Amino acid sequence: MRILLAEDDPLLGDGLQAGLRQQGFLTDWVRDGVAAERELASGVYDAAVLDLGLPYKDGFDVLAALRQQHVSTPILVLTARDAVPERIRGLNAGADDYVIKPVDLHELGARLRSLVRRAHGQVQDDLRSGNVLLEAATRRVLMGDALVTLSAREFDLLHALMRNAGRIMSREQLEQQLYSWGHEVESNAVEVHVHHLRRKLRPDLIQTVRGVGYSIAKGQA
Amino acid sequence: MKRRQRWSSLRVRLVVLLLGVVTVVWLGAALLTWYGARHELDELLDGHLAQAASLLIVQQARIHHDGDDDENPADAPSLHKYAPMVAFQVFQGDRLVMHSSNAGRAAMADLTSGFVTVDKPDGVQWRVFATRGDAQAQPGLQVYVGEQTASRGQILKAVLKNVLLPLLFALPLLALAALWAVGRGLLPLQQLGDTLRSRQPQAMEPIRLADLPDEMQPMVAALNALLEKIQAMVESERRFTADAAHELRTPIAAIRAQAQVAMGAGADSAQLAHALVYTLAGCDRATHLIEQLLTLARLDAARSLPSSSLDLAALVQRVAAELAPAALARGQTLELDASQACLVMGEEGLLSVLARNLMDNAIRYSPPGAAIHVAVRKPLDGILLSVEDSGPGMSAQDMARLGERFYRVLGNDQPGSGLGWSIVQRIAEVSGVQLKLAKSAALGGLHVTVTWPVN
Repeated sequence: MRILLAEDDPLLGDGLQAGLRQQGFLTDWVRDGVAAERELASGVYDAAVLDLGLPYKDGFDVLAALRQQHVSTPILVLTARDAVPERIRGLNAGADDYVIKPVDLHELGARLRSLVRRAHGQVQDDLRSGNVLLEAATRRVLMGDALVTLSAREFDLLHALMRNAGRIMSREQLEQQLYSWGHEVESNAVEVHVHHLRRKLRPDLIQTVRGVGYSIAKGQA
Repeated sequence: MKRRQRWSSLRVRLVVLLLGVVTVVWLGAALLTWYGARHELDELLDGHLAQAASLLIVQQARIHHDGDDDENPADAPSLHKYAPMVAFQVFQGDRLVMHSSNAGRAAMADLTSGFVTVDKPDGVQWRVFATRGDAQAQPGLQVYVGEQTASRGQILKAVLKNVLLPLLFALPLLALAALWAVGRGLLPLQQLGDTLRSRQPQAMEPIRLADLPDEMQPMVAALNALLEKIQAMVESERRFTADAAHELRTPIAAIRAQAQVAMGAGADSAQLAHALVYTLAGCDRATHLIEQLLTLARLDAARSLPSSSLDLAALVQRVAAELAPAALARGQTLELDASQACLVMGEEGLLSVLARNLMDNAIRYSPPGAAIHVAVRKPLDGILLSVEDSGPGMSAQDMARLGERFYRVLGNDQPGSGLGWSIVQRIAEVSGVQLKLAKSAALGGLHVTVTWPVN
């Protein structure tokens, strides 16, 4: 899952980024409101963590501007402002969740997963396609009862496809799910990871739609 | 104490003053009445004496004319309660022709005409009018008419009693009436008191009373102005507390996040070390913020601090020595020009905080390798502490907002509290020094000057 982190405090931003990465989130970190709005408008992020007291553009304004542009990315507001009117204002401005600093990193991760899940209309965190079960919180994949060992990238790719089961994901969309900033994208990375996934799981799990991308059939139980 | 309390009531005070004034005026009026009545009475009664004397002379002339010459003068009967106090004598030559029984046989006075007051041997004082008969018609006729002065006194006493007695009865009634009237008149004060008493301590809205008397309007206006000031102060305190709590949340959130990252680092020793270093940095920042908050709280509490004469140059040298390692670590050159002793009035601890904050800001917000120039000078118009740097400086907009608590100039990575400048401003206020921000002409960055005026 690719997350945008908008936080101007260097120490906290660093900690949140490291903590989210430890939980398997691909995390990009911006330090001001203008950058946050620009990055979120691009639509490559599954969710965002937004501080309200951002330089150049206040978090409220970023929220309002994004919702105005019909950007529906789930946004979790993380702030020191705990007054109830502020919370109401934040939620009304289009925030999907409102968390007061300081926050437990695992709770933050769980809330982000929950936001993304709900954004995709899922009821449960775990995803299933045939006999393949993906546990998002523990980042485990089971085929039948057997645990399948996947690399971080392979898991992210499978997660992206299963989250969007029934939809065709383009190679670019999948690439964006695999790499955060500062990582070189190899030209055939997606093909390589799809190849590995087919080998480790089932050959027929991921369908190739020529010229368009890849897709996983919507979960049969 | 009890007496003071009683007198502290406006109502009692007004009533007592009112009654006092009424009594004094009444007594004055009585005194004037006394003098006036005595004068008039004297004239009237003297007139009566003269009248009586002339009657006696006329009567004597008729008796004489009738030839009724009685050797034994008759005693005139006493017919009125005042009669024993009135006496007369009629002499023909040396012979007492007629007299009242209380007059005796000796002449009442030794003058022949006019008024005189005589003291008889029996201690009774008489007012006597003497007159003679006409020299041609009634030679040798001498008439004395006298009246005891005590009778005049009695009349005067009666008059005075009639004036003063009503006062005796009127005063208590007047006191009651005044008490009621004053109470009515002071009703707006009572209402104000009730309004204030029934107020909640948090209620800061202005006091509004219908039909406020003119005399009370300045007081209520002043009270409302005070309430407004208090409200502004309370509001600013409340905002400050809230802001302070929020500002503390961020470093604590950072510490927590970094500590949790360290816990989850597992075998990744580089990440563990990084997270621990950042955890410590977060602790330092929280400590710094708390120290700044405490300084500010102490400054807010201190309205006036004992100040003494101290050498600013020596103080700045000490602070510069403390901060020099930080500047060196950033590859900055810290230049100090404070060779001449400059005595200023101030509190040493506060001025140290002021100098430290200014220099610390210059070091913190100037890039590595920057130049920082600190000087203590003694120009004609006072003593001057100047701190300038070759950093990025500040926009006019930022300079204007700098005094706001927790305001931090955007786009710098320095973990400041946003309180340093608030502290500097507050110290300047408390110490009575002037603070000026400008662009440094020599170095291009920020130039802060603190001026102690000559006194």
